Amino acid sequence: VVMACRAMNKRKHVGLQQLSSFAEAGRTFLGPLKSSKFVIDEECHESVLISSAVRLLENLDLSSAVGQLLSEAVQAQNKMYRTGSSTLLFLAGAWSRAAEECLHLGVPVSLIVSVMSEGLISCIEEVSSLQVPVHRASDHTDDTQMFSGLGSRSVSLHSFLPIPPDTGLIQKENDLGDVASPSVTISSVPGRPVKSANLCRTQAKVEADENTQTPQTLRNRLCADTRCRKPALIHSRHFNRVDENQWTSKPDGFLEHQGAATPHTYRCKDLAELEAGLSHGDRSSMELVDAAARLQCQNADVQRGRCAAPWTFDISGVFTCCLPGLPETLSCVCPGYVTVVSTSRTALIEELQNQLLRVALIEGDLTENYRHLGFNRSANVTTVLESVKVHQASSEELWTDQVLQVLVKFNVNLVLVQGSVSEHVTEKCMHSKRLVIGSVNGSVMQAFALASGAQQVAYITQVTEACVGSGVCVAFWRSMPSGVNTVNSMAITLKTEGMNLVTVVLTGPVTAQMQTKEDRFWTCAYRLHYALKEQKVFLGGGAVEFLCLSHLQSLVRQPLNKGIQVCSGGLHNTSSWLASSLALYRPTVLKCLASGWHKYLSALMYNTARSASEFEASAFIQHHLQSATDSGSPSSYILNEYSKLNSGIFNSGISNKVEQIPRVYDVVTPKTEAWRRALDLVLLVLQTDSEIITGLGHTQLKPQEAEDFLFL
Amino acid sequence: MSRLEAKKPSLCKSEPLTSERVRDTLSVLKGIVTSCYGPSGRLKQLHNGLGGCVSTTSHSSALLANLSVTHPILKILTTSVQNHVSCFSDCGLFTAILCCNLIEKVQRTGLIPTTVIKLNKHLLSLCTSYLKTEACGCRIPVDFSSTQILLCLVRSILTSKPACMLTRKEIDHISTLILTAFLLTIPENAEDHIVLGKSIIVPLKGQRVIDSTVLPGILIEMSEVQLMKILPIKKSDSLKVALFCASLSGDLSDTGEGTVVIGYGVSLENAVLDQLLNLGRQLVSDHVDLVMCQKVIHPSLKQFLSMHRIIAIDRVGVALMEPLSTVTGTQPIGSLGSISPSSYGSVKDLCTAKFGFKHFFHLIPNETTVCSLLLCNRNDTAWDELKLTCETALHVLQLTIKEPLVLLGGGCTETHLAAYIRHKTFNEPESLPKDDGYTQTELQLITEAFCSALESIAGSLEHDGGEILTDMKYGHVWSVQADSPSVVNWPDFLSRCGCGLCNSQEELNWSFLRSTQHPFAPQTCLPHGAVGSANNLTLDCFTAKLSGLQVAVETANLILDLSYVIEDKN
Repeated sequence: VVMACRAMNKRKHVGLQQLSSFAEAGRTFLGPLKSSKFVIDEECHESVLISSAVRLLENLDLSSAVGQLLSEAVQAQNKMYRTGSSTLLFLAGAWSRAAEECLHLGVPVSLIVSVMSEGLISCIEEVSSLQVPVHRASDHTDDTQMFSGLGSRSVSLHSFLPIPPDTGLIQKENDLGDVASPSVTISSVPGRPVKSANLCRTQAKVEADENTQTPQTLRNRLCADTRCRKPALIHSRHFNRVDENQWTSKPDGFLEHQGAATPHTYRCKDLAELEAGLSHGDRSSMELVDAAARLQCQNADVQRGRCAAPWTFDISGVFTCCLPGLPETLSCVCPGYVTVVSTSRTALIEELQNQLLRVALIEGDLTENYRHLGFNRSANVTTVLESVKVHQASSEELWTDQVLQVLVKFNVNLVLVQGSVSEHVTEKCMHSKRLVIGSVNGSVMQAFALASGAQQVAYITQVTEACVGSGVCVAFWRSMPSGVNTVNSMAITLKTEGMNLVTVVLTGPVTAQMQTKEDRFWTCAYRLHYALKEQKVFLGGGAVEFLCLSHLQSLVRQPLNKGIQVCSGGLHNTSSWLASSLALYRPTVLKCLASGWHKYLSALMYNTARSASEFEASAFIQHHLQSATDSGSPSSYILNEYSKLNSGIFNSGISNKVEQIPRVYDVVTPKTEAWRRALDLVLLVLQTDSEIITGLGHTQLKPQEAEDFLFL
Repeated sequence: MSRLEAKKPSLCKSEPLTSERVRDTLSVLKGIVTSCYGPSGRLKQLHNGLGGCVSTTSHSSALLANLSVTHPILKILTTSVQNHVSCFSDCGLFTAILCCNLIEKVQRTGLIPTTVIKLNKHLLSLCTSYLKTEACGCRIPVDFSSTQILLCLVRSILTSKPACMLTRKEIDHISTLILTAFLLTIPENAEDHIVLGKSIIVPLKGQRVIDSTVLPGILIEMSEVQLMKILPIKKSDSLKVALFCASLSGDLSDTGEGTVVIGYGVSLENAVLDQLLNLGRQLVSDHVDLVMCQKVIHPSLKQFLSMHRIIAIDRVGVALMEPLSTVTGTQPIGSLGSISPSSYGSVKDLCTAKFGFKHFFHLIPNETTVCSLLLCNRNDTAWDELKLTCETALHVLQLTIKEPLVLLGGGCTETHLAAYIRHKTFNEPESLPKDDGYTQTELQLITEAFCSALESIAGSLEHDGGEILTDMKYGHVWSVQADSPSVVNWPDFLSRCGCGLCNSQEELNWSFLRSTQHPFAPQTCLPHGAVGSANNLTLDCFTAKLSGLQVAVETANLILDLSYVIEDKN
């Protein structure tokens, strides 16, 4: 075996260039308006519709080392937070270009590394001034009043015939709103605009809220705003204040509201406002998340009788079920477990649906040949028949009979199996009025185990009375089996009293979009989860990035004094000459780092179509940057001018009135982690000077490539 | 019919080191290891070129394990470095660079190998005996009553591996954790000889480094399903433990070749399961509370045990077996027959814990000398590098407790040693033992080669085009920006020496390392006792560096001594 070693930095840094070109592909996924892409496999003519950085990288051939590191970083971010991947991808590209620029300017690699990481850490510290605490409101009456509109939905969800939440909500709102203009509806939730069903349908393609709608619908919304929404805003605590008052940033990091008789600390107490802010334009997904969170909270609070707004959201108790081919309006949230079974079982389910079922949970497969993990089969054992009198039934049939015996003995009429189920068993059980469902998710199994008192076992033979749970109900999803027929399957719901499991049913007419829908639901779900878990959010819509940009510019101007040089230089090796030449190169590197934020913001504005060109966007940012600097305190400037900045990025100055622009929020840790991961990746690649390829023979190399390699 | 083929003649090459190809590959290898060295060292991407996993590293053990070298000379070199690393963890790159440097520099002298080897040995013993004397100016005794030196040592190791991607704050956090983990492995009741416990590194990838932590006892990862099946643990003083290394999965033990024929109605599986359940009954009657198995436990046996309120933990893995057996005092049980009561052990408590997305059993033993270091890092490649580095640091601390000395880092030890040797051979030749095997000129030639090999290691710390200076008093390393004016007021340009012990305010004379050095007697920089106040030192492990020095010189001698390479081509 031959080891080849390829030097990466001859004249240009190949790794950084690769990184920025990969990132370029994900540029359009930045921001709330994501344009979808088709990835086409030229060999087998398959194509995938994607609209996120994660799916993009999944579908690209990234066999190069840098590509793999990039994809690894994006996957890790996604696995952990389900959000921030596009940010990671974009910043990795922007900063790799920045690092390359520094190399061109002759900055030593070690200094780029230390100044850039120091710069980012300083930015992350700085943006804590834009954190908004999320706290539960102390006055509960306020809560119930706010969510009265949604209360009805929760009630309907409790029945076995859940009305799709959209219709439920709209019916309710139409009663409250202006009946004369059915195309415009208002929400009873203050400050939380809800689209009407009509608007929803006309632009089924673009799942956008009012901030990102096309000009025509914008006019509609404006009309709605002026006519209907203003009174509703009376309920909102902070929107009322904002008009007259000024925000300043307190040294403790949180925002303080000045000007009122007693200073209030700015808090986000309104769940609806939080959700709207975190939805980033994906209102329909966030509505499902909201319903799931409420349902979960209702399940938890069932003994207390009254459900307040949920202030925690446990995503492990949420499960999605995709039903492609159905109209989008049928998407809803159901208590319990929704799954798809074959229509051949219609009669069985009709029979079982008014009973409380006894359930057994099987961890493995329900097949004759299944053995638990770690069991090694001996290949050389054969069984011989000693007597011809033994009846000729196959071992499969014997085994099936055995399974059935167990089920009869313990009176089990529902079997949930984590693995696959033998056809034969399903068939036999159907005849004896027992329902067997395979491929059940592990967390669903656990939820059933907890709620029904069943114990999971590996083999059916292990089932004892103690392992059998009870009280499970089965029903058709949406009352009639025919109503949800796709080809040969139908959806059913399984639930039991006190089960902490919520299934989000996602429907859509276009099968290719299902993956995207599911991804977007989870993105919203994770955002809400982290926002409630961390009890704080960032003021979003580019505000944090803008502050980073402005902060880095102020760092550039700040002279380094000797004291800071050693402690904040970020250099591990303070005795090196690099420490003393830090002052010389620091402004250059910080400027390059800042240019990454600048590119991010202008790409964001360009993507949301709020500026005709990136140049225009850039000029807008530059203008505000100057004003922020002139104001003396960039973070206060951002708070005061938030609406204008926000409108520049999202709303293109449709209105200068603060109350008409809902705040956009971002989750804190997922966002800063995405930045860190992006920079870590860039710095890792920057510091790499050669690639060592193991196990590559001379013959596999093309002659022109071989020149670049050194062999050992 | 068998076919006979004539054997190919063996291939014999004389004077392998003179071949152009060998020199080229040696210089490629030297380039790789040299560019990795130090805190600003460059990283290497290791991958198979076919989409396998990519690791970014500058760690000698990761690097050398993945380099597939073909030439026997390179193999000698990499193998001896790997041997050194497997014994001492640290100073692998140092050893490799020094060895390459020595071969290169010594060859340029053009002397015959026997003389060179003799002189190299002589100079090596000069170095080792100097390092071992009290008077040695580049070593510091470790004071175990304070954590300062130990923390500096750990921090130096962490900063020397940039692929860990740690910030200053994270380095401080991890250094503290490593030191805590190490201290937890020291038994409280020290007798004549101490047996150190073990720190187990538990992976938690994807989390922030700051989330890393140390816990006394052992963490065993488990699934959430397993967690649910655990019954509330009985409250008592301690839990009785049985530990199995045999598989309890219920499969047949290896039946060997041939076919086993069994009659209809006989089930071997059931027979084995019956045996397992008998074992279970014995465990119940012996009042065992906790059963752990390296491999898999049959679900039916688990069910049986759980019915009798015995906690069963399976798939513990081979890595945890030894620490588990130590802390619980159990004898791992290897058969399904009856269990001798002496095999059982005990633990103080068992609880469950969740970190990130992972669930763990947390085993708290009676006497803790085992701890778990839960290590987090953002991405896989940085985690792997961090794990290797932490293992190195833990090992180095163990070596340091055995030999409570540290060497000055940042290249200062190398230049100081070089200055010492030069001084000895040029200024005090009479103090050296007389040997008629070489002339004085030869001695001076080889000394120059040996010293410049040592000094260029210090030079290898520089990767951004800076220049290295050395002072004429202590023989420490100083770095300065390239193309600085040659006649300058040096103190304006310099701040501290490589290890951080001296500063430029003192009246010193400096000279470029690459220029000709004049011999002088290097002094010790330590005003003894003041070491405690210096808190930002770069330090190296004494034992590992000493061994590295010896391995490098001996390997170089071995390679220089090779006159034929005979390859069997069959």
